[in-house]
Amino acid sequence: MITTEFLTHIHLFSFPPHLCLSLTEPDCGRKQKLAEIHQALISDPVDIETLRRAAASKGGLLTDELRRKVWPKLLSINVFELPHKPGRDVRKNHKDYNQVVLDVRRSMKRFPKGMPAAERAVLQEQLIDIILEVLKGNPQLHYYQGYHDVAVSLLLVVGERMAIAMLDTLSNFHLRDFMDPTMDRTKHILNYLMPILEQVDTELHDFMIRAEVGTIFALSWLITWFGHVLSEFKHTLRLYDFFLASHPLMPIYLAATIVLHREKEVKQTECDMAMVHHLLSRIPQDLPYELLIGQAQDLFDKYPPSLLAKRAALQSRKSLSISTFQAFQRSTLHQRPDSVLQRLTKAHGSDTSRHGLEAALPRDRGQLWGRGNRMVKMAVWGLSATLGAAVFAVAQTAMDWGPEVLLQLF
Amino acid sequence: MAEGGSSVEFSSSLANSNLPPPRTRIFKIIVIGDSGVGKTCLTYRFCAGKFPEKTEATIGVDFRERLVEIDGEKIKIQLWDTAGQERFRKSMVQHYYRNVHAVVFVYDVTNAASFRSLPAWIEECKQHALGTEVPRIIVGNKCDLQESIQVGTDVAQQFADTHSLPLFETSAKNPNSQGEGNCGGGNSDHVEAIFMTVAHKLKSQKPLVLSQPAEGSGGTINLSRGRDDGGDGARSWACSSC
Ligand SMILES: Nc1nc2c(ncn2[C@@H]2O[C@H](COP(=O)(O)OP(=O)(O)O)[C@@H](O)[C@H]2O)c(=O)[nH]1
Ligand SMILES: [Mg+2]
Repeated sequence: MITTEFLTHIHLFSFPPHLCLSLTEPDCGRKQKLAEIHQALISDPVDIETLRRAAASKGGLLTDELRRKVWPKLLSINVFELPHKPGRDVRKNHKDYNQVVLDVRRSMKRFPKGMPAAERAVLQEQLIDIILEVLKGNPQLHYYQGYHDVAVSLLLVVGERMAIAMLDTLSNFHLRDFMDPTMDRTKHILNYLMPILEQVDTELHDFMIRAEVGTIFALSWLITWFGHVLSEFKHTLRLYDFFLASHPLMPIYLAATIVLHREKEVKQTECDMAMVHHLLSRIPQDLPYELLIGQAQDLFDKYPPSLLAKRAALQSRKSLSISTFQAFQRSTLHQRPDSVLQRLTKAHGSDTSRHGLEAALPRDRGQLWGRGNRMVKMAVWGLSATLGAAVFAVAQTAMDWGPEVLLQLF
Repeated sequence: MAEGGSSVEFSSSLANSNLPPPRTRIFKIIVIGDSGVGKTCLTYRFCAGKFPEKTEATIGVDFRERLVEIDGEKIKIQLWDTAGQERFRKSMVQHYYRNVHAVVFVYDVTNAASFRSLPAWIEECKQHALGTEVPRIIVGNKCDLQESIQVGTDVAQQFADTHSLPLFETSAKNPNSQGEGNCGGGNSDHVEAIFMTVAHKLKSQKPLVLSQPAEGSGGTINLSRGRDDGGDGARSWACSSC
């Protein structure tokens, strides 16, 4: 159950550390990190602390291939028991159907620039299905504009079925507050922003209060985990690594570091709601993400939500994401590595067939696949265009895991 | 209101012998309506002069502005482009109704539901104290899609009349597809004329609005005052032929 690619890393790491002459070379840190991640993934139980640390520390999870392995662990997802591809029914009778279709069909910026329109269209249809599938399974959750920005970020990395599983978990935990019938809880989360600023830079805080700028400039940052506002997908992914491994309030701490980072600009702006909103809502594309991520963590440690809640008369019980976070984190502690999971899954006799070729794809699509259906092929091409070389690596891994893993990606 | 305060400050400082740098008045216009009717496209068209190739869902509130010249005065027109999804406007967009000088209600002529939502939008504005004293207009967008029109001009005009609101039909995509509507004015496009009409209306109103130091005048356009008669009736300041 060890991939060739993994063997390479083992090999590299069998060198004693002092032989790693390239400690000064940036690459060595990277190799070290790759090894740590792989080690954490095969530990039993999975070493979730190390994975979290790796996701938050410099460079995040490094490659999409690793993201496909680590992201599900961060959310306690068994990749051998992924939800099935949604059938056609998923589009019937959902109150948010029109809004979802509208938002997904016009969200073209979120797909890689070179992707042919036909391939993008296939992924967009998958995106609609993914969103509706999760919403249908969770009648307590309500779609919001921006939810599609989260979903597309997942889809482009992990494929349809794993995206459903991840989105489902995220929606019930990290994003839960945004999915109420009203946005009162979202507002509540936004209300943590100014108290953080107040702790660090009173002058800036007071300036923003005087301008009455409010916090809506950070709304799309928060509810899309910045996916809506960053033009470089790699930056979005870097932040997703970080947020998937962090407390649900972390996007607000990052928002605070961004405002603090632009402190001079803000103070030089006219003290007027429109002007300050205008300035802040346009996020510079060349932000020093690694630095800001580190600062956000520091702020979080120094001024944890509980402390802010006390000082700013915020009631943390108002947030479902915050109140369920501890239980969520506990649930990630006892995961088996994939090699064991696969064996266990196979051992469930009745399950075996479910993971066969026919079952991995819904019946009609399975047949279509056999006939070389154009749509499915396009989806695969779409994914490979997105993933580039990484697809080769993952295919290799998947061969080792068994073809069902490969199928689950699509 | 804040405007009152700053306008007093403005006029008294003008009376001073050492004149402060000229101030640019700002007209704040909020654009509201259902999701997908084209609010982002319309505001983009006015501020950037073209139809955006791609628009994304608007999350919360976006802001666009443009400097124009009306009767020799440079004026900054700020457009607040809002999210159409109900959940956003109930708790998020509220903040932006304050200090707004005019309201543009948008519906999609190819989507009857978006037209049927107008009374709710108008009502919501009233709740934020944006009633008849604030210039408000209705814009029916996507007129270029002639073959899929669901809301006829007569129905829309009737509705506009009962609310005493001027009605404009246009297309953010192809604003000149309107033919020879006399709103278009010279070679400037129709979307532009609509927002400029609102700006003229605001300029003809008495109270001075929030001001800020003048800036470099990128993208200034000139529009003569010809069509602005300063009347109060809906028809009298809008172009009834649209
Ligand atoms: N044909 C046509 N399409 C338009 C027009 N205005 C907007 N659209 C399209 O309608 C969709 C929604 O536009 P958008 O401005 O994002 O709507 P908003 O949700 O009201 O901001 C987009 O796909 C636009 O390309 C128009 O005048 N004509
Ligand atoms: Mg919009």
